[in-house]
Amino acid sequence: MSMAALRRLLLLAYTALVFAFIFAPIVSTIVFSFNADRFPSLPWGGFSLQWYEAIFADATIQRGLMNSLIVAGVTCVIATFLGFSAAYVDYRYRFLGKSIYLALAALPPTVPVVILGVALLTFEGRVGLSGTLQGIIVGHVVLSTPFAMALVRMRLADLDPDIERAAWNLGASPWATMFGVIVPFCTPAILAALFLTAAVSFDEFMIAWFVSGVNETLPVRVLAMLQGQVSPRINAIGAIVFGVSITLVVLAQLLLGRMSGRAARKKG
Amino acid sequence: MSEPLPTPDTGSAPLKGTSRRATEARFAVFWGAPPALWQAAFFLVPLGFLVAMTFWSVKNFRLTPDATLANWMFILNAGFFRNAYVYTFWLSALTAAIASVAAFPAAYTLAYKVSPAVRRFMIFMLVVPFFTSYPVRIYSTQIFFSPQGIINTVLVPLGLGPLHVLNTPTGTVVGYLVLTLPLVVLLQTFALANVPRILIEAAHNLGCGRLRTIWTVIIPSARIGLIVAGTFAFVLAFGDYVAPTYLGGSKPPTLSILIADQVKSGNNWPRASVVAVMMIVTLMVVMLVMIGFAYGRRKEKA
Amino acid sequence: MATPMIELDRVAKHYGNHAAVADVSFTIEKGEFVALMGPSGCGKTTTLRMIAGLDQPTSGEIRLWGRRLNEDAPWERDAPLVWQSYALFPFLSVRRNVEFGLKQRGLPAAERRKKADEWMERLGIASFAERGVDQLSGGQRQRVALARALALEPEMLLLDEPLSALDPHLRVRMQSELVRLHRELGITFICVTHSHSEAFAMADRVVIMNEGRIQQIGAPRDIHRRAANRFVAEFVGGNNIFTGTARFEDDGSIALAGLVGTVHAPAPMEGGIVTGGAATLVVPADRIELAGTSTGAGNEVQARVVTVEFVGSTVTVFLETEGGCELRAQRSLHEMENTPLAVGQPVVARWSPQQGFFLPG
Repeated sequence: MSMAALRRLLLLAYTALVFAFIFAPIVSTIVFSFNADRFPSLPWGGFSLQWYEAIFADATIQRGLMNSLIVAGVTCVIATFLGFSAAYVDYRYRFLGKSIYLALAALPPTVPVVILGVALLTFEGRVGLSGTLQGIIVGHVVLSTPFAMALVRMRLADLDPDIERAAWNLGASPWATMFGVIVPFCTPAILAALFLTAAVSFDEFMIAWFVSGVNETLPVRVLAMLQGQVSPRINAIGAIVFGVSITLVVLAQLLLGRMSGRAARKKG
Repeated sequence: MSEPLPTPDTGSAPLKGTSRRATEARFAVFWGAPPALWQAAFFLVPLGFLVAMTFWSVKNFRLTPDATLANWMFILNAGFFRNAYVYTFWLSALTAAIASVAAFPAAYTLAYKVSPAVRRFMIFMLVVPFFTSYPVRIYSTQIFFSPQGIINTVLVPLGLGPLHVLNTPTGTVVGYLVLTLPLVVLLQTFALANVPRILIEAAHNLGCGRLRTIWTVIIPSARIGLIVAGTFAFVLAFGDYVAPTYLGGSKPPTLSILIADQVKSGNNWPRASVVAVMMIVTLMVVMLVMIGFAYGRRKEKA
Repeated sequence: MATPMIELDRVAKHYGNHAAVADVSFTIEKGEFVALMGPSGCGKTTTLRMIAGLDQPTSGEIRLWGRRLNEDAPWERDAPLVWQSYALFPFLSVRRNVEFGLKQRGLPAAERRKKADEWMERLGIASFAERGVDQLSGGQRQRVALARALALEPEMLLLDEPLSALDPHLRVRMQSELVRLHRELGITFICVTHSHSEAFAMADRVVIMNEGRIQQIGAPRDIHRRAANRFVAEFVGGNNIFTGTARFEDDGSIALAGLVGTVHAPAPMEGGIVTGGAATLVVPADRIELAGTSTGAGNEVQARVVTVEFVGSTVTVFLETEGGCELRAQRSLHEMENTPLAVGQPVVARWSPQQGFFLPG
């Protein structure tokens, strides 16, 4: 074997190791959610769906799932609207203080969620939002709007500014142009943003933990279960959450892939 | 075609103009205002509130608006805070260093040693962890390292164990790596893939060996991306609550654990706010320093 | 005097300290084909965009049938534009692109369809009405852009460098097609171009601009025959420009003594030239004849052939005199086939004094 091939093999093996470290927790979650044994270890205790049956029988988990779905559903609509608006403003306008405007829209993910959680809890306690699903939604929108904004902004970067002006020139008012030209052009990015922000909200546990009170979302329920003893039910929940999130992300990815594929064809 | 109409009256033209400006202003406000208002109301105001609260006092278990420095004095002088601060900072920096070094060969491989299709797929794979419940991943890791877990069932018969990772700082760092490594590999891969191929080929052509090319061409060219990746790792680890709680066993506590404990049980929110503000200030300073570090020397070179 | 259709009155457009358009006034009559021409950055496109309402004048007034237009929003004007980049809506089919403007006017679907069909038929794009615009060639996109604008049946059509993105062979075809459309429709065409051959081939009237100001307005033939200043004489091409010292002759003509030797031309009506002063003489290249020997009549210059360039049925011969003065002569291919020229060959360049003209002062 040549030196170059050996070097490449070593690098590939190392990379595989890094990926193994990253994916071992995810894979084992899914695998052990089907394990009959109570304690997830080797040897394999046999295939079983009992943990799934257990969580579907658990009213608190069901409520948590319901809450999570509601929160994610509302969050994704608001966050995508706000993200779209901010991205369009960035695309279309130049104004004094624009960098502050954009920073305000984009910065929340750089603040640790534990701090966002405390800040929202104290603030929402004052305005009567804490302990409600609305309170969680408010925080999740803050956190996920920047992701929606980034996706839409990327799409708008491919829109020739002349196209908007061409619509005006043909008699379309700014409103007609928005709904006849800009929104249709951004549709793939808007859908991707809906899925992505839903996924961010669906997985968020820290803000929800601080703010939710008795209205626990699913991740908050998981956090509570972690404090108890080992339970394969956590694996089952994890596997379900994984399934939901990955479906959303794959859908977003497919839409973005179609978008970039088209852009590539246009250039080619 | 009709002949030119006589100008109706001069009043109509300016009127039309006013309506144009009004339409455009309404349009701009409709799209521009909601994001700003939302983030101001639910991001800026709560954070400002948090800062204001550091000067409040707790009297008879009731939060009272005040202008006292007592919370600041108490926290900054408290041994538990200082220890937690140093401990959290040190562990986060260590995580950033380990993640950066451990990710580099993998990012190098993804950037240069695999086909574009494989690279795209691997990049997608690296995004997946962000959308799997992080607490569940930490739970799985906990199981792995538990006394009866997979790692010890393999190691002990080989005479290599048992490995004590849970409830130690090592456990916390392992958890931090679970959180940060995917992002660091991802960002490093982007950074390396953006290094112009021609620079690397030129270096080889000039007789620069592989390792020396990495050291003298690739790393300096990708420095901004590499520094950003490490900084993100630091920021994520510094604010994390789950890994130090469930893998580190809360002993010693990190800053995020202090905050959560104060808020969830201690009910001393002003003191928790001081810790939170200290964390934000620290992160801002670290980010500014790293940005300066990433861009500063580059200017000098140019 | 009747109100002109379009009137630009001391229009200026400033970006900060930079004047894209400094001070522009001209009028356009209904049914004219006007070309705005000049080098890039001369303000021609900004002028067009101000007519469309896409840019607002900093000062001055734009009037349509005598009514001030400055504050009308672009979507309130009836001045569809054919964009240099075509600016077709990428997510819509050809048909929906053509129908777009009609839809904005609130036309019912059936009528929209009928009108769009008519215009697509007329411009030869009916066969791919349902295709996406990203599947079209450059020439086809151009036609979609035209159909989209003309479907509104406007009283004027604006064109921004309509031919610049086309292959050379398509350009010539499109050029004659635009002229045919203009004649058939009878509406006003205002076309921005940097190419004098395009402008001269299509337009009834040409507005030549430089650095935000109008240099000359006139019919192509007049501009070619009588450039108003040195910039125009150089920009329209095909001119010989000689400088030297003027001297009034007894017959009222002026003799110019310079690098080219001594040549004659009539004195300009505007005056401005004095004996002993500097003057600039323009002689169109297609007015210069080439001969083997001197006849002693008219202006004659001894020169040598430097290069011979063949473009289409025109031949341009580049000459140089003993004294280093460059000249060029444009002759027909047919003529040159009878008297072939070799590089380095001595010839006599000759033109009648009436063919040259002095630039004013």
